[in-house]
Amino acid sequence: MDTLFKKSKKQIFAIFSFLFLSLILSTNTFAADGEKIFKQNCAVCHTLGKNKLTGPGLEGIMTRVPSEKWLFDWIKNNKAMIAAGDAYAVKVFNDNNKADMTVFASTLSDEEIQATIDYIKAPPAPTTPAGPVAQTSGEAAPQEEGINPLAVLLGVIAFLIIIIAVLRGVRHSLTNLQNEKMGLPEEEAVGPWTELKNWIYTHKRTTTVIILIITGGLLTSGWYALKGIGVYADPETKAVYHPDQPIQFSHKIHAGDNAINCQYCHSGVEKSKTAGIPSVNVCMNCHKGISSGATTGTKEIAKIYEAAGWDVEKGEYNKPQKPIKWIKVHNLQDFVFFSHQQHVTVGKQDCANCHGDVKEMTTVKQVSPLTMGWCIDCHRKTEVPGMKDNPYYESLHKRLAEKYKGEPITVDKMGGIDCVRCHY
Amino acid sequence: MATKKYWKGLEELNNSPEFVQKANNEFAEQLPVEKLLGDKNLENDGTNRRDFLKFLGFSVTAASLAACETPVNKAIPYVVKPDDITPGVANWYASTYFDGNDYASVIVKTREGRPIKIEGNELSKITRGGTNARVQASVLSLYDSSRLAGPTMGGNATTWTTADKEIGAKLAAISAKGGAIRILSSTIISPSTKAVIADFTAKYPTTKHVTYDAVSYSGIAKANAQTFGQEVIPSYNFDKAEVIVSIGADFLANWLSPIESAHQYAMTRKVGKDKKKMSRHYQFESILSLTGANADYRSPVKVSEHGKVVVNLYNAVAKIVGGSSLSSSALAADAMIAKAAKDLTESKGKSVVVCGSNDMHVQLVVNGINQMLDNYGKTIDIETPNYTRQGDDAAFAALVSEMASGKVDAIITYNTNPVYTAPAALKFAEAYNKVGLRISFADRADETASMATHICPDHNYLESWNDFNPKKAHYSLSQPTISPLFNTRQAQESLLKWSGNSLDYHTYLQRNWMDRVFPMQGKFMAFGEFWNNSLHDGAIEVGKGDAMENHTSADTAMVAMAVAAEKAKAPKKEEAPAEEKPVAKVDLNDAASKIAAVKSTSEFELALYEKVGIGNGNQANNPWLQELPDPITKLTWDNYVTMSPLDMEGKYDLMERQDRDASVVNVTVNGTTIKLPVVPQPGQARGTIGIAVGYGRDKAGALSMRTGSVIGQNAYQFVQLMNGTMMYGALDARVESANEMVAMAGTQVHHTLMGREIVKETVLSEYVKDPKAGNEDEMLVTHSGKVKMAEVDLWDSFDRPGHKWGMTIDLNSCIGCGSCVVSCTAENNVAVVGKDQVMKTREMHWLRIDRYYTTNWPNKGKEAKEKAHEDGVGAIDMYLDMENPEASNPKVVFQPMLCQHCNHAPCENVCPVLATNHSSDGLNQMTYNRCVGTRYCANNCPYKVRRFNWFNYNANSDFTFNPSQDDLGRMVLNPDVVVRSRGVMEKCSMCVQRIQGGKLDAKKAERKLKDGEIKTACQQSCPTNAIIFGDLNDEESAVTKLRKEDERNFYVLEEIGTKPAISYLTKVRNCEEAEFNHEQKAVEKEKEHA
Repeated sequence: MDTLFKKSKKQIFAIFSFLFLSLILSTNTFAADGEKIFKQNCAVCHTLGKNKLTGPGLEGIMTRVPSEKWLFDWIKNNKAMIAAGDAYAVKVFNDNNKADMTVFASTLSDEEIQATIDYIKAPPAPTTPAGPVAQTSGEAAPQEEGINPLAVLLGVIAFLIIIIAVLRGVRHSLTNLQNEKMGLPEEEAVGPWTELKNWIYTHKRTTTVIILIITGGLLTSGWYALKGIGVYADPETKAVYHPDQPIQFSHKIHAGDNAINCQYCHSGVEKSKTAGIPSVNVCMNCHKGISSGATTGTKEIAKIYEAAGWDVEKGEYNKPQKPIKWIKVHNLQDFVFFSHQQHVTVGKQDCANCHGDVKEMTTVKQVSPLTMGWCIDCHRKTEVPGMKDNPYYESLHKRLAEKYKGEPITVDKMGGIDCVRCHY
Repeated sequence: MATKKYWKGLEELNNSPEFVQKANNEFAEQLPVEKLLGDKNLENDGTNRRDFLKFLGFSVTAASLAACETPVNKAIPYVVKPDDITPGVANWYASTYFDGNDYASVIVKTREGRPIKIEGNELSKITRGGTNARVQASVLSLYDSSRLAGPTMGGNATTWTTADKEIGAKLAAISAKGGAIRILSSTIISPSTKAVIADFTAKYPTTKHVTYDAVSYSGIAKANAQTFGQEVIPSYNFDKAEVIVSIGADFLANWLSPIESAHQYAMTRKVGKDKKKMSRHYQFESILSLTGANADYRSPVKVSEHGKVVVNLYNAVAKIVGGSSLSSSALAADAMIAKAAKDLTESKGKSVVVCGSNDMHVQLVVNGINQMLDNYGKTIDIETPNYTRQGDDAAFAALVSEMASGKVDAIITYNTNPVYTAPAALKFAEAYNKVGLRISFADRADETASMATHICPDHNYLESWNDFNPKKAHYSLSQPTISPLFNTRQAQESLLKWSGNSLDYHTYLQRNWMDRVFPMQGKFMAFGEFWNNSLHDGAIEVGKGDAMENHTSADTAMVAMAVAAEKAKAPKKEEAPAEEKPVAKVDLNDAASKIAAVKSTSEFELALYEKVGIGNGNQANNPWLQELPDPITKLTWDNYVTMSPLDMEGKYDLMERQDRDASVVNVTVNGTTIKLPVVPQPGQARGTIGIAVGYGRDKAGALSMRTGSVIGQNAYQFVQLMNGTMMYGALDARVESANEMVAMAGTQVHHTLMGREIVKETVLSEYVKDPKAGNEDEMLVTHSGKVKMAEVDLWDSFDRPGHKWGMTIDLNSCIGCGSCVVSCTAENNVAVVGKDQVMKTREMHWLRIDRYYTTNWPNKGKEAKEKAHEDGVGAIDMYLDMENPEASNPKVVFQPMLCQHCNHAPCENVCPVLATNHSSDGLNQMTYNRCVGTRYCANNCPYKVRRFNWFNYNANSDFTFNPSQDDLGRMVLNPDVVVRSRGVMEKCSMCVQRIQGGKLDAKKAERKLKDGEIKTACQQSCPTNAIIFGDLNDEESAVTKLRKEDERNFYVLEEIGTKPAISYLTKVRNCEEAEFNHEQKAVEKEKEHA
C-alpha cells in the first residue's frame, strides 16, 4: 500500500495539476462564451429585446436593476432574494405573475454568470435579414443560365429554310434571265413541295435512311421521356425537386449549425412508417424564446407564431391556430408502402442515405430519385447490419448462410425484393 | 370418388341448358364496351376504324399531357399533436357494441383518430374474441352521411340550447299537470343509463319506462316466470351440451346471443387427435336457417307445428324417463323426434333443448323437457341471466293503446323504431301522432323520428361513453374512439340535462361504477386502478354480480325498491343446488292444449326471420351488409319470399340461374299485402314461406336513394300479437302471383368449380375408426405404380428460407356466418359494387363462403348397379340418375374460399407482365401497379378467387353507394392498403399488411415471431376459431402441428398439383353412416370398372 502510494505520488500530483489546469482553461472558454450560456439557459424565458416571454425582455436591463451586483445575485439565487424580502426582487417576482425563475447557484459558476451579464450588457446588434447572398450561398440555382440548345437548333433550322427559299428564288430568277438571253421559253415555276417530291422520288434510298433515323430518334427520346414521368430527380442532369416552402425553414441552421438531432422533430422515424413532419408545438418548444433568426430575422419565425396562434407581445397563445401547409418533398406513389421504422430501427440506416446531407441544405430538396430501380439497387447491395444479433433473423440467417456460403447476405437474398414487401 | 353429389344451386342440380352455357362461357355476359367508352349511344352510331383511330390518338395525347404535370402534394402536420397519436401507428381501444340486439365486446382500431376496424375482444368471457357480420360492419355506420348533423325541432335544424329550453319547459308543464311521460326504448343493458332514467323519473314522477324489442324474446321470460318464479332469460352453455335440439331457434346467427353460442357450439364440434367426440345437433325448423344448415339431423316442419314438435318431444322424453305425457297429435317428424329423445335422455344433464318460438306456452313445455333432462344448472344457467332481451310485448301493447286513447302527453324514444317495427295491427304511427311531445334520440330521421316533434340525435357508439351488463356479473365499457362527427349529444346526457343534472355522462358513469360496480369486485383496492383496468380490458367479470342487474322492463322505481330484497336473497340461491330449487308446478297440459289449438288455416304459413347481414334492420343503410350474400340463398341487396321448390313447381319460375328473373308474388296476411320476388329454397318446409325482416326501410338513409329504390319490403307488418307476446309468423298467408318478373342478384353459381371434388366430409363413427375417413389420398398412376398426389410434382419446389405462411380452415368449425367476409371487406378496402354488378358476377369479395347442398343418391352403390343391370340402363344413365337427388331436405356444407396461395400457381404462369408471382415467404403476390388487366390469371385460376375491377368504383357516378365515394365514408378506409382502381385484378393477400406489421414488431423488439401473433382479418373475426394461420417453417406453430397431426387435412384440387398454402379439414357429421349413405369404396370400385 505504502509503496503504491509512494510510486503513484508523482502521478497523482500530475493528474491533479492537469485537472486544475483544464479547469482553468475550461472556465476561460466558458467565460468567453456568454452568448452560449445565455442561449442554453436563459433564452427559453428571456429575449434580449423588449418582448416578454415567460420572463421580461432584457433590453435596458442594466438601467432597471439597482446594481450589477443585484443582477448577479438575482441570477445566482433569485429565490433567496425574494425570501429575504429584497424590495426590487419582490416587485419583479410579482410583476411577472409570480413565475419561478430557475436558481442557477448550482449550475453556473460565478465566472459564467459574470460572462452572461457581460453578454446581456452588450449584446450583438440584431442581424439584418439576409439578402440574396445568404440565399444563394448554399447551392447553385437549379436552372442554368444560358442559351437553350433547342432554341439554337430551331433558329438554325429556320435560318436554313430562309436561306433555301432565298437561294431558290435567286436560282429561279437567274435561270429565267439565262433562258431569256438564250431565247428559251420561261422556266415553269415549280413549287417547293413539287420539287421536294421530285427530289424524294429521285433519292429514295437517302429518304428512307433519313426517315429511319428520325423515327429511331423520336422513339428513343419518347421512351426516355416516358420513363421520366413522375420521377423528380434526374441522376444525369442532377436536377432535383426543390419546391418553395411556405416557411423558409433551414435544415442547415437547425440540424447543421445547432446540431439538433433529426429525431427531435421527426419523432416518428423509429416507431412509425412515417418520420412525420413536426407539429407546430414542437417548433414552439424553442421558438418561444428565439424570435429572430440569423438569416431571415423575424420574418420566417413570425410565420410559426401565426400558425401556433402565439402572441409575441403578450407571450401567450391567444390567436386562432393555422396549420402550416408544407410542400411534400419526398413523394411516393400511393401504391408503395414504405416504412421508416423498418429502415431506421431494424435496418440501422442513416437518414442521409436517402435524404442526402440535409445538414448542409438551407431548404430541403430531394436528392434520391425514389424510383423502384433505385430502391432495388440498394436492396441488392446492402447487407442488413442488425441481422446477426437480432434473434428474429436467427433461423433465416442460418439458412441463408448455408445457402450462400460466404457471400454477403444482402436484403434481396432474404426476400427484400418481393413485390409484396412494398406493394399491397 | 364419393357417392355424394354437391351442388351449389338448383340450376346446377338440374343442369339446365342455360346453366351449362353460362358456366362454359368465359365471360358471364357481353363485355361492357359501350360503358367503357363512356357513351351509351356509340354502339348505335357504330364506331368505324377512323373514329377509333381518332379516339386513340386523342386519348394518347391527352394521357401523356396529363401525365407530364406532376401534382404538388402538401403535408399538413398537426398544430398541436395529441400525445397518444403517432401518425402511421394505430391505436386500439376496448369498447362494446350493443344495439339492442347484438352484444359484442370489441376492440376498435383507430388511425390518426379515425376508427377503421372492429376486432373481437379476446378478454371477454362472453364473446371471446368473436364478432359477427353486423358488428364488423358497424364501423361503417359511424361514417353514415345520413346521420343527423344536429338537433331538429319540427323538422327544422335548431341548437341544443333552444331544444333543451323548449323540451325542459314542456316536460315541466306536463309533469306539473300530472300528464304521462313515457320512455320507450329497446333493451337497455347499461346500469348507468338505467340510473339516468331513474334520475329522470325522480324529476318527472309521471314517467314510465317501457322496453320494446323489435324481435322479442318475452315468451321465454314469461315462461321462466311461471316455471321458476324469475322473469329472466337464462344463459345457455352449448359448450357443455352433448346433444343439442333446436326447434326453430337460429342460435348460430340470431337467436339470443349468437356470437357466444357459435363459439360454444364450435367447441363441441371440433375434433382432432385427442378429441374424437362431438355434439349431436337436431334442428326442426320451417326455413333453412344458418343453424339448420349446420345440424346433423334436420327436419323441415311448418310454423304451426313448432309447438307440436315440442310437445311430442316432451312426450317422447317423458316416455323414456317415465313421466306423464301430454295430449299430442302425430307428426311426420315423429321418427326424428323419437331419435332425438333417445339421444337426449342418454345425455341427461349434458343436453339442451332450445326453441325460437316467442309463445309462452311452447317455452313452458321446453322448460319441462329441460327439467326432465336435468339440464338446469348445467347447460342452462338460470342463475346467470342474460339481460340482452328485456322487451315486454304486453307492456308495449298497453302503451300503444294508452297513446291511442290520448292519455300520454310525452314520449321519448331511444334506440327503437316502432313505426317501422311494430305490427301493422297495432297502428303505432296513428297512436304516436296523438302524443303531444314526441322526442326521439335517433341518429337519423328514421321512420319514427321523422314523425317526432324533436329529434335530439344520439352519438354513435364509437363516440360514446357507456357501460354494459349483458349477463349477471359480466360488465363491459365503451369509450369514445373519435370526437363526435356531428353536433350530436349522447342520449344519457340529454336526459341528465332535462332532469336538471349538469354532470357530463362520463363523470356520471364513473361515479356510478364507483358506487355500484367497484364494490362488487375484490381485485383492485383503488377505484382509479379498477376503472383504468376495466377500460383497458373492455370487459370484466365481477364476483357474483349484483341483484340490481336483474330486472325486466318494469318501472325503474320499482326495480330500485326490489334491489335490497333481492340482494338479501341472492347468496342463499347461489348455495342451493339446482335440484332443490322450489319449482312451482306448472300445468303443462293447459299449455299443450293451447299449442294444439294452433292450426294452419290456409295453404301457406309464414315464417319471419332475421338475416345474417341485415338482422333486425337497424343497419339497413350499411352497404357492406347489403352486399353480404345471405349464407343460405346467396342472394344480395334484396329480401324475398323463400318457398319450397316443390311448392313452386309449375306456378313460379324456379330460377334455373340465380341472376335470372324471379317471379313476383303478392303475400297477404290479415289484409296487409306486400309484393316480393319468390325464390326456391331447398330444405324449406312445404306449405311454409319465409320472409326476412329488416328490409323495406324507406327512411333508413341515402342508400335506398342511391340504389334507386327502397331495398325490399317491410315484413314486420306481419308480426302479430298473440296471447300477450309477438308472434313472428302467420298461419294464414295468401300467396298470389303478381304476373311480374324481377331480377335478383345472387352469387351462388358464380365462379363455379365445374363439379370438381372440393369439399370432403365423413361421419363421426367412420372418423373414429379411421381418422382419414372421407379424406383418402388421391392416387396417381405413374410408371412406378400408384403414387400419392402430394408426392408428384412437375416442378422443383421453391426455397422458403424465412417464413412460409399457411392457413388451415376447419370445415367442422365453420358455420358459414359471414363475419370473415365483412371483416375482410373492412380490412382490405374491398369495393361495394351494387346489385347490378353482382348480377353480372362482378362482386369483389376476396373471401367468399361457398355453400354446397348435398343429398344422398336414391340408390346405393352396388344395389344401384344391380338395379341398372336389371333395367337395362347403361353406366352413363345410371350415374346421371344418381346425380338426381331429391331436393326437399339437403345437407349443407360451408367452405370459405379465398386465394389458395398455390406454390405452383396457375395464375402466375399466364400473366404477361409478371404482375402476379410468388414471394419468398409463400404468398401469391398481386402487384396492382403492374397489372394491365388481361384477366388471364382469373381465367386460369381453378379456385375462381380473383376479382377484376371493371370500373373505378371509387369515383364512377354509377357507384355512389360505395363508401369510398363519400367524404365521410372514405374515413373508414385502411390507409395501409391501396384502394384499387379500374382495370386491375385483385385478390386475397393473406392480409400481408398485418404480416408485415407483425414481423416488424418482432424485429424491432429483437425477438422471434410468436405463433399466433399475426392474425389475418378473417381469422380474428371468426367466432368459432375455424381459421388458423401461421408459419409452416415454424415446427411449433399451431398450423404446422395441425397439418402434421390431423388426418383430416386436405388441399382443394390437390390432384391438379397447385400445391396450395391453404388447407382444409374434413367436415365430420355426427349422424349415422346409414343416413349419410357413405358408400365410398363400392363406388370407387365401380368407377374403376367403368
